[in-house]
Amino acid sequence: MNEDLKKTLLNPIFKGNPITVLVLGICSSLAVTVQLKGAFVMALSVIIVTGLSSFIVSLLRNSIPNRVRIIVQLVVVAMMVILVDQVLRAYAYSIDKQLSVYIGLIITNCIVMGRIEAFALGNKPIPSLLDGLANGAGYGMILIIVAFFRELLGSGTLFGLRVLPASYVPNNLVILPPMALIILGCIVWVQRSIQKDLQEK
Amino acid sequence: MNTNNNVYTIVYTTVVVVIAAAILAIAAMALKPRQQANIKAETISQMLTAAGFSSKEDLAKLGNDQILAMYSDNIKTAFLIDAEGNKTDELETEVSSIELQDNLKVENKNIASGNPSLPVYVFEKDGAEINVIPCYGAGLWGPIWGYIAFDADCDQILGAYFDHESETPGLGAKIKDEAWFREQFKGKKVDFEHPDNPFAIVKGGAPAGDASKVDAITGATMTCNGLDAALDNWFRAYIPFLQKKAGAAMEDDCCGEDGCEDCDHDHDHGHDHNHQHNHQEG
Repeated sequence: MNEDLKKTLLNPIFKGNPITVLVLGICSSLAVTVQLKGAFVMALSVIIVTGLSSFIVSLLRNSIPNRVRIIVQLVVVAMMVILVDQVLRAYAYSIDKQLSVYIGLIITNCIVMGRIEAFALGNKPIPSLLDGLANGAGYGMILIIVAFFRELLGSGTLFGLRVLPASYVPNNLVILPPMALIILGCIVWVQRSIQKDLQEK
Repeated sequence: MNTNNNVYTIVYTTVVVVIAAAILAIAAMALKPRQQANIKAETISQMLTAAGFSSKEDLAKLGNDQILAMYSDNIKTAFLIDAEGNKTDELETEVSSIELQDNLKVENKNIASGNPSLPVYVFEKDGAEINVIPCYGAGLWGPIWGYIAFDADCDQILGAYFDHESETPGLGAKIKDEAWFREQFKGKKVDFEHPDNPFAIVKGGAPAGDASKVDAITGATMTCNGLDAALDNWFRAYIPFLQKKAGAAMEDDCCGEDGCEDCDHDHDHGHDHNHQHNHQEG
């Protein structure tokens, strides 16, 4: 059992990463990775939403009428997303203003619904919670890696603090979404060369 | 139990939705005071940015309390005006009880019905008055609004700041993000002579030397049209007030909207006149 839990927790971080392996949640990973701060908050929000909605749906899993299960899942996910948005609006207003469009879009983030359908509906609450949190973390990790390169090369800063000398001319291409896709591609490349079993024959 | 039963399905979904709604309602109520404080500080920081006291980036680093204090320290008076430009009511500017007329959506409707109650925020910087007024309108996806700062006799625009709810990032959102866009408002004038179109955001570039036109943003035609309409609408509503302020400066002024450079001398004269006037009042 403990071994299972460990696998549930670690698998989504690397071997079964939602972005680089399952290729879910690409859209928001391109949009909110210009700065580390935004990526960090987005990662945290997704971790909370995926974890708690998996947990709640798992609690309800035996009572949910099969015909309307997607609707019920959506209600749970939407509720969590609105709660996160409201809390951010109260406690981190400037970040909420930047992210608010994308926070709303967590509802449509395939990772959340994907994990609920694939895992939470068939597993007990605690493993579901861990699975949700771990998938959120796997997503967040990629987000932060991409944001690290984009903020460093695009603005010469990290978390808003200048790290590259002022003489560094920021690369404007890195700020644009296409570059996020290229960085993401490089991450997938690195992962696939380490993890040979992911390579298609 | 048969969970595919119709009655069960309906009752189940109803209960789930009601519980979710209750949780959200409680959360919204509990968080509202904090959210409103944030919105108030945000509104004030937009005004302070337009009036040139600080930049939006610097203000974002300050706490709400510091922003409110900065407002209170720099504001001279804030009041409401009616459609004729007459003062109707004072707004509290004391730091503990700052009043703003920030329900621009309602006022936007009131402008259309001819019975608005419009705010004017008069700041003081280095001894000179700065009059800040808002504008509000529809962008492409949602509302857009902004604050425009005028000099003491409401002749020249000193600065502007625009914001939006949900314009497209990288296109319409540039009205907020691109500094060059709001920078071009500096030194522009409202065209009192043409109240039907007192200000214009021109696609393809504003003609050089035209004092009441600025360049539009490429790829953001709908947002720029919306902002243009919002500025026209609100400037029109403020023209009686602005003209009163401009008063003497306008009367012996040869040039209205064209803003010909030759007339700068006359403008200076107008300023002097107005200053004397102010002294008499003081």
